[in-house]
Amino acid sequence: MSNDPIHQFHIAPLVELPAIAGYDTSFTNASLFMVAGVGAAALFFNWAMKPAALVPGRSQVVAEGAYNFIHGMVKDAAGEEGVKKFFPFVFTLFLFIFMANMLGMFPYFFTTTSQIVVTAAMAMMVFLTVIVVGLVKNGAKFFKLFVPSGVPWPLYFIVTPIEIISFFSRPLSHAVRLWANILAGHILLKVFASFVPMLLAAGGWFSALSILPLAMTVGLYGLEFLVAFLQAYVFAILTCIYLNDALHPGH
Amino acid sequence: MADRKPPEDALSNLRRRVDAARGEGETQNAPPPQSPATLALRFGGEFGAAVIVGALLGYGADYFLHSQPWGLIIGMGLGFAAGVVNVVRVAQSYSRANPVDPKAPSIPDDEED
Repeated sequence: MSNDPIHQFHIAPLVELPAIAGYDTSFTNASLFMVAGVGAAALFFNWAMKPAALVPGRSQVVAEGAYNFIHGMVKDAAGEEGVKKFFPFVFTLFLFIFMANMLGMFPYFFTTTSQIVVTAAMAMMVFLTVIVVGLVKNGAKFFKLFVPSGVPWPLYFIVTPIEIISFFSRPLSHAVRLWANILAGHILLKVFASFVPMLLAAGGWFSALSILPLAMTVGLYGLEFLVAFLQAYVFAILTCIYLNDALHPGH
Repeated sequence: MADRKPPEDALSNLRRRVDAARGEGETQNAPPPQSPATLALRFGGEFGAAVIVGALLGYGADYFLHSQPWGLIIGMGLGFAAGVVNVVRVAQSYSRANPVDPKAPSIPDDEED
């Protein structure tokens, strides 16, 4: 079982709670790491910004850097109006995914973003926000998204269904991208890491060969840290791009 | 700490040094470099998602209109088209973000024209 690369994604209830309306509401290891991620982010920002110094210290630079990074990203992708409306939402999403990914890099920890339920819930949240905000703000003009301008009219019979499918495929690709990256990375790490004890146990010349998968695991670990940050970034920037469509549907 | 200068002086001095260290004009928000695997997954995800959603919408139309199998067939076809549209959009935004170096050597053209 210790060599099973899928075992790390097993969800085990930690505190059994009674089912509500037929749904299991137990507090699982996934819930624990979601709470831990949120708690770590909140505690870090509270602690780092406590001095609120004019000339920031090291931790304050990290906190302000993260804030500025996402602030600039939202501003570039969705404009001033996007910053005013959606910056807290995007920043929260980014921090949650980033913390979940980074906590998942610890051996024996659970990675919540490797569960498609979690990523799909976040993607649906963004998707529904886009629809609701787009309809409330632009009314019928929101449907211009499906009727791009500058197309000869007979083509609308083909273009409109394609645009609609393209629009509805967004939450799926949005959720799957984060989930698949994290899942694939963690399985890959586990597979290469499990080669080390296998080769050691084989004895003789094979024991000496175990250095190769060990080196590979170290290299992959570095890559996974990059992916953990990059996927949080990509999720946040796509959120910005989709929200921009809600604010300015006319392309 | 034995600095007797007024704080404005110290601050503007610090600002100057920070700007110099950072390099003026350089944006702080340069997107991180994307690994090829990430990019590949993005292209594949965009295409596959559109096909799946197209097929599901077609299947749903069939379910309500009792028009099997036409909804699924048309939906899947449109899904493929939407997938291509998605991929082209991603590729366009990628080339906009990473313009080709004009000084890069051009690919030799074997066509006789």
